Amino acid sequence: MNQTLAFKQSSDLHPALSDPATRTLNAGNLIGRWVNTDPATRGIAELIIDQDGEQFYVRAVGAGADGPIQWPRTRAQALANLEEEAGQRSIALAADFDFGFMKAETYLRANKGVLVIVLFNVFLDESGRSNYVNREFYYRQD
Amino acid sequence: MEFAQIRDRVEIDPETAGPIDALPLIGTWINSNPDTTGIARMEISEAGEGLALRTFAIGSDGLIDWGTTEVTVVASGAASRVGAGFTCVYDFGFAETRLQGMIMKGLLVLAQLHSFKDDSKRVGYFVREYYALDHGRF
Repeated sequence: MNQTLAFKQSSDLHPALSDPATRTLNAGNLIGRWVNTDPATRGIAELIIDQDGEQFYVRAVGAGADGPIQWPRTRAQALANLEEEAGQRSIALAADFDFGFMKAETYLRANKGVLVIVLFNVFLDESGRSNYVNREFYYRQD
Repeated sequence: MEFAQIRDRVEIDPETAGPIDALPLIGTWINSNPDTTGIARMEISEAGEGLALRTFAIGSDGLIDWGTTEVTVVASGAASRVGAGFTCVYDFGFAETRLQGMIMKGLLVLAQLHSFKDDSKRVGYFVREYYALDHGRF
């Protein structure tokens, strides 16, 4: 029996989205330890991505004033990346970090061997700081 | 002051800090790809003290109006007061879409994170597309 699929744009009906294998497609492109290409970064120095079955996790290490700041390991949502990166379709990850005073919404994707993270940082305290977006690049360390 | 990365550690006087200037985001943003199967156009306008986004996406018989939602405006740094992007969520019931936009070299780079909540067993997906501000000058 054919099911009528609800959609809000034509790409919601892309045939690849009905293939369960799409959920972990070429996930190896993302798994591992990644180091910031900028050794003087004031943001995230390092990212560790791991996988348990279909569940992905992201851990980050922030650049601190007196040494690295360990961010909590958080669950990441795997999303089919319908774009082809270097001729290969893969997945992207979405991960949210909650620090209480701030939350960071991120997405991560690999492009030609480089991991790209985009963070949308939203402050929840009354510090007067602006919410901001930042993008950084990483190379695989192992 | 709490911070998770040095970049967050800026001294701002909350008494005098003004809102982020959202002017760079306001207007109609058109997809650079005429063959897109996703979001074709976004209209960003002032709404009270914030911004409202109205989105139009490609459907089988023309554009689908997603309606209007509030956005969270972001700057390019914790000390900046110039709008450089936004984030927002559309909840359609059967699916949820998070939009994360950032301005780069005059283009709005839009990441779209789509998650299905119905029983269709479809895999959530990610799309990144580029939008130009319709400035009406040429």
